[in-house]
Amino acid sequence: MKKTVVLFIIGALVLIATGFWIFSGSSPVEPAELVSLFVIVLVVAFALFVGYKRLTSVKKGEPAEDEMSKKIMHKTSSLSYYISLYWWLTLMYFSDKLNFETHTIIGAGILGMAVIFAVCWLVFNFRGVRNE
Amino acid sequence: MNNRIREFRARYNLTQEDLAKKVNVRRETIVFLEKNKYNPSLKLAYDIARVFEVKIEEIFYFN
Repeated sequence: MKKTVVLFIIGALVLIATGFWIFSGSSPVEPAELVSLFVIVLVVAFALFVGYKRLTSVKKGEPAEDEMSKKIMHKTSSLSYYISLYWWLTLMYFSDKLNFETHTIIGAGILGMAVIFAVCWLVFNFRGVRNE
Repeated sequence: MNNRIREFRARYNLTQEDLAKKVNVRRETIVFLEKNKYNPSLKLAYDIARVFEVKIEEIFYFN
């Protein structure tokens, strides 16, 4: 239950920080920033979805986490870490070619990692974990 | 590994939710088990067998 509350709090904080970032700037929002905004909203939506699933399980009298959800999270973490290494390598390669600013590359790296994690989680949730 | 959880559940007139509560897992886990998308731990297999009052190998088997 504590984990779920923390998940919701982090989601809210990310949304508030994103709101500040968007509305505090004097210049209009650029297309590249819009992409970042879209990815942030997507990642927060994913976190809220996971939190909502946990809450509904608890309300039904089931555990918020069980051995399968833990195994899915474990496999998701290891696979997404592995893919993220290649994501950072790709970013490093293109940063030399296209002359991106440092903060743009770091932002793309972190947001990319979050998206990779969400995609891996979805894959394992639909495909299952048979370990065979 | 395959299983006959659905068959035993029908025999005991249990819903997926009932079985999930009895073995202290989420309903999703029972759904995945029945679809053969997840192989349970030995403890979960034992708990399920105990609910149906049979041996583990009567529920879980290899092709």
